[in-house]
Amino acid sequence: MAGDPKTRFLVVDDFSTMRRIVRNLLKELGFTNVDEAEDGAIALQKLQGGGFEFVVTDWNMPNMDGLTLLQTIRATPTLKHLPVLMITAEAKKENIIAAAQAGASGYIVKPFTAGTLSEKLNKIFEKLGQA
Amino acid sequence: MSDFAGMEDLLQDFLQEAHDLLSDVDNKLVDLEKTPDDRGLLNDIFRGFHTVKGGAGFLNATELVTLCHLTENLFDRLRNGEMELTPELMDVIMAATKGVRDMFGELGQMVQPQAADPHVIGALQGALRGELPGAVAGVANESPAAAPAAANAVPGEPDWAAMHAAVSGQAAEGELMPKAAPVAKAESAAHAVVAPVPAKEAPSPFGRRATDRPAGQPTATRRADERARENTIRVDTSRLDQVLNLSGEIGLTKNRLTSLRADILAGKNDAETLHALDQAVSQLDLLVSDLQNSVMKTRMQPIGRLFQKYPRIARDLARQLGKDVELVLAGEETEVDKTMIEDLADPLIHLIRNAVDHGVEMPEERAASGKSAKSLVRLEARQEGDHIVLIIADDGRGMSAERIRAKAVDKGLISEEEANTLDERQSLNLIFLPGFSTKTQISDVSGRGVGMDVVKTNIQKLNGSVEIRSEPGKGSVFIISLPLTLAILPVLLVLLGDQPFALPLSLVREILPIDQQRIQEVGGKETLVVRGEVLPVVSLARLLGWPLERPPEYGVFMQTAERSFILGVDSFAGRDDAVIKSLEDFRPKGVAGVTTLSNGQIVLILDMKELLADLGQHAEAGNALRALDFV
Repeated sequence: MAGDPKTRFLVVDDFSTMRRIVRNLLKELGFTNVDEAEDGAIALQKLQGGGFEFVVTDWNMPNMDGLTLLQTIRATPTLKHLPVLMITAEAKKENIIAAAQAGASGYIVKPFTAGTLSEKLNKIFEKLGQA
Repeated sequence: MSDFAGMEDLLQDFLQEAHDLLSDVDNKLVDLEKTPDDRGLLNDIFRGFHTVKGGAGFLNATELVTLCHLTENLFDRLRNGEMELTPELMDVIMAATKGVRDMFGELGQMVQPQAADPHVIGALQGALRGELPGAVAGVANESPAAAPAAANAVPGEPDWAAMHAAVSGQAAEGELMPKAAPVAKAESAAHAVVAPVPAKEAPSPFGRRATDRPAGQPTATRRADERARENTIRVDTSRLDQVLNLSGEIGLTKNRLTSLRADILAGKNDAETLHALDQAVSQLDLLVSDLQNSVMKTRMQPIGRLFQKYPRIARDLARQLGKDVELVLAGEETEVDKTMIEDLADPLIHLIRNAVDHGVEMPEERAASGKSAKSLVRLEARQEGDHIVLIIADDGRGMSAERIRAKAVDKGLISEEEANTLDERQSLNLIFLPGFSTKTQISDVSGRGVGMDVVKTNIQKLNGSVEIRSEPGKGSVFIISLPLTLAILPVLLVLLGDQPFALPLSLVREILPIDQQRIQEVGGKETLVVRGEVLPVVSLARLLGWPLERPPEYGVFMQTAERSFILGVDSFAGRDDAVIKSLEDFRPKGVAGVTTLSNGQIVLILDMKELLADLGQHAEAGNALRALDFV
């Protein structure tokens, strides 16, 4: 399944250019319901406000990094079901393992194309569909 | 893949954001030199390179990715305590940072960056392999002790000081600029032609660059490109929301007025209607001035964005000179109009260079006079009422009024007699004369004798003023005072007959009645003594070349940077906040622009400086006044 185009995304990155890139790629894939947050702490606030169905987050950020955000989401009863796609510049083994252990739904390495993103998203949507 | 077609917007966004990020990194690097073990700083710098790398990846800027990647890895080791930050390593990092900045310059030209300097890459890789960067040819050359030697490059070894300068354009900007200016023009023209053409037209931008850019002058291209990018501005959305909100309110008030007009035209003019009209107009008044303020605020930027470039410049320069200087910043949050920030960049760089180069002494000299080896240069901004004040202070040797006078006479800028009449403040101001340079030997860093006068001219263009205070042995202070905005000019309206003229209020000290009995003739010109000060009286009619129909009744005590005098007028009509409309094609001498009064009358805003310059010429021709009489 391709995922509901109305799916509400939260894109988390401290670099606004990167948020814009991700937002544009999502738009290319038909997802236009996107909000942004500058770091993990702000993201968490927005998430707690409710209404989000998908989180795409950078790893390396000030205040609260992506991994901590992911861990916090998984530890919060109201949020723990949220799919979280981690974005990072590194394809380091230990990073991928850490993300998997923390419960990331997917992992994508910068730079990526809309095609790669779509592939990762579809995998996650498939899993969600099965659940 | 070196095609930015379709990615221009993204590239601009990236560059703007990455530039800020890199300036921040630059500053943190300077801090890091003081506290090399600060984990927080190491982390922040790591993240800076990491973030730039991530963005560069999407732009396919592989060389930038490589350079950032290596530097980032180095910081990863440093923050994990696997390596130690040595001064030699610091130099490698600084060179890498400059490399990154240079690549931004290339990206700004829509060209994929070329590979970084192999020395820098080699040094980074070496450091990551655990080799001491000291072992890498030339890198250690710039350690503080060796800095003066580095200027006379050791044969066979790269001249790192010069390379730094060439790579970044920063350290040597002052001297490269004048030479490079025509190149910058040519570049920007070339750029303008090239820009709209999709990059597909140039299948090999790598090759194009080599011919486009004359070797050794990357400064010019970088600067040209910086100018081009300044057309965008980042505004806090809450400020834009406020503008939107106010324009909405104004729309509502306009509707109210339209409906009231209909009522009144229909003959309804009872007390209630008039009261409503009064209310609506008052409200509109309030809203419009709020809107003006809000719009002005969208143009206001914290001056810290300008300041953040300077610690690095000061550091590099001090190092080149073998001095130990710390640039202390204060008031970075002070907000200044964007145009003004751009126009302040060069004068401030010049004053900082001047402070580091001429202001502060060599460590030995400081030690000899009982000062700390490290000198402090303070750059401060603050808002005082409706003015912005910028202060550049050093704790160096100060300036000697006597030496400055002697030098000015030596250079034939003033005569000996003139020199003798100058007081301390006027003597210090001599350094702003074109062609003045306190050092007989031209220093290759800041002093070519072009500069201080340019600093002053640039500040005056912004309706600002510069003041110098200096205490021999203790240091010098340059105080720049600027209006908050260039869009609105507070003016004094004076009358000549029944014709009003506007004078910039910033020049007006006081208004006094002129008692013809008290006017004294000194050396053939009219003067008035105000509190012990002898001031020349110049009638506005004479300045404008109008017939003097009757003696002026009022005097406006005016003070410009160079002179104080009393401007004789018939009467005055109060003050006003003028919105300046410039006369673009038709600009009579002595007129800065025009504004419209509340009654619809058009008023000329006078440019006193120009009017007085004119007077000086007339007077010289006619033997009476000389410019210096006014000082």
